[in-house]
Amino acid sequence: MSKIRRLIIVLAVFAVSFAFIFPTIQWYFLTPKEDQAIAVGSREQIRDFSRRMAYSALTDIKAKALAGDTADLSQKYDVVTLVAKKAYKDARRALPKAWSAANLLAAFSNERSMFDAVEGKYREHVLSLKNLHGNAIQLGLDLAGGMSVIIQADMSVLSEKLGHAVSSSEREDAMQRAVEVLNSRIDQFGLTEPVIRRQGEDQIYVEIPGTADPERINSIIMGKGNLAFYIVDSEATSALNAYLTNNPLGVDEKTMTVSQTGIIPEGKIIRKVYKKDSYGLDEFTGEYLVLEGKPGLDGSHVQSATVSSDQITGQPETNFVLDKEGGDLFYALTSANVGKSMAVVLDDRVKSYARIQEPIRESVRITGFNAEEAQNLATLLRTAALPLSLSVENQQAIGASLGEDAIAQGERAIIVGLLAVFVFMFAYYKGAGVNATVAQIANLFIMLSVLTAFKLTLTLPSIAGFVLTVGMAVDANVIIFERIKEEILSGKTRKAAIEAGFHKAFWAVMDSNITTIIAALFLAQLGSGAIQGFAISLAIGNMTSLFTSLFVSKLIFDFETDVLGKKSVSISWRIK
Amino acid sequence: MKRVIRFSRFFLPAAVISSALILFGLFGYFTKGFNLGVDFQAGVNQTVQLAYPVANVSYSGKGNAELRISDSAITLVFSGAEIEQKTVVFDYADYPTIGDLAKALSAEPAVAVAIEPSQDASASKLLVPTYQGNTFISANPMVLHRAPASGSELFASIDEVRQAITGLGKISVQVVKPATNQRYLIRAEDSGEDPNFTETARSTIISGLENKFGANKVVMLKTDFVGARYSQALSRTAFLLVLATLLLILAYSAIRFKIEYAIGAVLAIAHDALIMIGFIVWTRMEFNSSTIAAILTILGYSINDTIVQFDRVREERKLRPNDRFVDILDSALSMTLGRTIITTATTMLTVLALFFFTTGSMKDFSLALFIGMVSGTYSTIYIASAFVEWWQRQADKKTKKGQKHADVAQPPKPLAGEQP
Repeated sequence: MSKIRRLIIVLAVFAVSFAFIFPTIQWYFLTPKEDQAIAVGSREQIRDFSRRMAYSALTDIKAKALAGDTADLSQKYDVVTLVAKKAYKDARRALPKAWSAANLLAAFSNERSMFDAVEGKYREHVLSLKNLHGNAIQLGLDLAGGMSVIIQADMSVLSEKLGHAVSSSEREDAMQRAVEVLNSRIDQFGLTEPVIRRQGEDQIYVEIPGTADPERINSIIMGKGNLAFYIVDSEATSALNAYLTNNPLGVDEKTMTVSQTGIIPEGKIIRKVYKKDSYGLDEFTGEYLVLEGKPGLDGSHVQSATVSSDQITGQPETNFVLDKEGGDLFYALTSANVGKSMAVVLDDRVKSYARIQEPIRESVRITGFNAEEAQNLATLLRTAALPLSLSVENQQAIGASLGEDAIAQGERAIIVGLLAVFVFMFAYYKGAGVNATVAQIANLFIMLSVLTAFKLTLTLPSIAGFVLTVGMAVDANVIIFERIKEEILSGKTRKAAIEAGFHKAFWAVMDSNITTIIAALFLAQLGSGAIQGFAISLAIGNMTSLFTSLFVSKLIFDFETDVLGKKSVSISWRIK
Repeated sequence: MKRVIRFSRFFLPAAVISSALILFGLFGYFTKGFNLGVDFQAGVNQTVQLAYPVANVSYSGKGNAELRISDSAITLVFSGAEIEQKTVVFDYADYPTIGDLAKALSAEPAVAVAIEPSQDASASKLLVPTYQGNTFISANPMVLHRAPASGSELFASIDEVRQAITGLGKISVQVVKPATNQRYLIRAEDSGEDPNFTETARSTIISGLENKFGANKVVMLKTDFVGARYSQALSRTAFLLVLATLLLILAYSAIRFKIEYAIGAVLAIAHDALIMIGFIVWTRMEFNSSTIAAILTILGYSINDTIVQFDRVREERKLRPNDRFVDILDSALSMTLGRTIITTATTMLTVLALFFFTTGSMKDFSLALFIGMVSGTYSTIYIASAFVEWWQRQADKKTKKGQKHADVAQPPKPLAGEQP
């Protein structure tokens, strides 16, 4: 291969590596801490932040406009100015000379659209930061602090319910539902970017970075989402709505009651209707329903739920199947209430409601919403049917500060270790030592980018893996250099000695690295936690070091021979 | 030509020493067993620190204020809507005492600091807060603690800690070094009778210590809970992992070299693993997942070393097919000695860096690695090569016998699996 072509390959590898590493640099070094704090928050916190920011900006601008303040606000409200500028352009109007409060307000047709636009801009900004964070190297719990929990699912409840041993597909389905349940609960608690994943056959691994409170996690795992079907009292609902038009704050949010008697019949309850908003969170729709006091059917009777589309109209619909007992109950319930509405309620929130058109037994079909809503409802129904009991199997909580200590230690060890290796290599191999140093730095760089590209977590053991890999990866350079030395001593020219050295060392380097990679990959597959992090970085480091020591290092030698016209090899203090 | 070192002369004494060391290690293993770490014992492991409270920091403003303490600075991050978003760093170099720090902190908007009297202790003695108080400060004050500044300030000995906790059955208390920190690791075994063991154990430990030493002098640093099933699964996986790795390496090297080389290589790495286990047992080092990782790393490292040298033996043998095998072995080992020394030196430099700059399990990890590397370098020459030499001698004896019977001279066989 020509040198130019090899150079292009090396540059291409570096460019790709840089592209992967860039988000990490951007997030950890170029994003201010206060922006990071918001971006790592839960979606609920981000929603709250965007709304508050938009609201306070709007109130202030409105007050300034009323007071006739003409000061330029483009510095103070840069985000609002940006949105206003876009609004002017969209409306094909000339941009105002100064961004005074009045001019900012004039960009929008009404307050609501201004609020939405500004909120959207803030949301977009924070969510893009969140996305950046997702693409940067993730720090493991031992470095970032937080909690990890391994949850064990007990299949015996499921097998009791089914009346036979659990098959693997039934187990898969049940585990998937369990993960969904945990996901939705953790969402409700507004925790920061949790990691929830399956582990092995019947375990779930949950990781909550940052702050972590052992008591809180228990409520997430042990609390059971409570899903039930209620019959809607439409008369009382209309009465309530009529009352609310005159008294918008008529419902006491804490007790969910109305102070005025006579509207809500004895024994019935008021619940709010929610739907998913643009943050993927439950949002109150502004609608209230009056429900029968007792649920018509408990959610535990749901066996499965799927989404399909109506064969004729193509409308998405949610189908769910009840067990035998549930089917009988449901039939009695629906027969008695044809024409009324039925609400699906999870943890006191109405998630969906639909009119009962005819008596239904086990197999239920709900229509009248879009595909996403249908999917949400199906997920919800599935989680209600969770037939497993979960228990904490293993739990770790690490203070964030211990993590910071660990990072500092790791940094010091890496820097000192690397410097020692480089000084040693230079002292022993002179010019070739510099070559090896360049190859090892390139190696570290590519290693980090591979780690980022595969979204692997950086933990203390994996830092140790890095440090150790560099020590071991130098081995390939050493084998090659020793060979080159021998060839020079046998009287070969620079070019011939280098060619022969690389050629003869090739299989020794390959064999020794492949065996190490076998061991490391194996560990990475079967090990867990610390072992896995360490093994992965060792395996990656061994592979990338093959590239840098055999390819990059050779290219540097050839460049020196052919372009710089060097005749001798600077590889030892004894050989001139 | 380089000088040839007669490594082969010491093959026999080396085998004796190695066997003795391994037997000594196994003896320790069967009599004392491992000092099993957190991961292997069902129960709760609670790291606590007994310390002096120095200040209460609270925040009454809007948005969020996050306070992070490191060993060199306090960082205060204001974020959220309706406030000025900013990050303020208080370096201990600028605020040498806790009193100075408290003054600077309370100058920030809506931050209030209630300080304990006479806080002229050095700011670097500040303890980093725990997971229990989260890093956000609110109207509910966050308590900052400091470690005892001198020996005379220590107030909780290991015995006192042990006495303070009652009603948990069998517990063990260990000092987390350095002892002047008053940091302890308390372990309570889970007998499996109490379904809410995690919570009971945690609260019993906390309340016991708080009753004895005072409510705000106890800082929880770390809580680990390990279930019985998990710990069993871990031991099994660890054992299977080592076994399977050995088999895989055996298979690969049998394909690339000859079977005797493969067996020699595997014997060498098994030797290293056993030496390390002996070391871990006798030093009472904690046996946990990092230690397993160290053993497995040495398997990889040692095989690497062995293969490089075998590669050279194979090559030399091709070049000088009529020489005595033991001479070929000695000269091949002498040739790769430079490489062995340099590689070992560079790797050891990094391991030593890890050893000196980290604490806790990472320090143990690097120490175990260090021992493993010494063993790995040694075993390549004195176990792996010695075994191949022994095998070859047995094979030669057989061929000689065969020659006597058949009276046919056999040409020396070239090695299988040769590569360009």
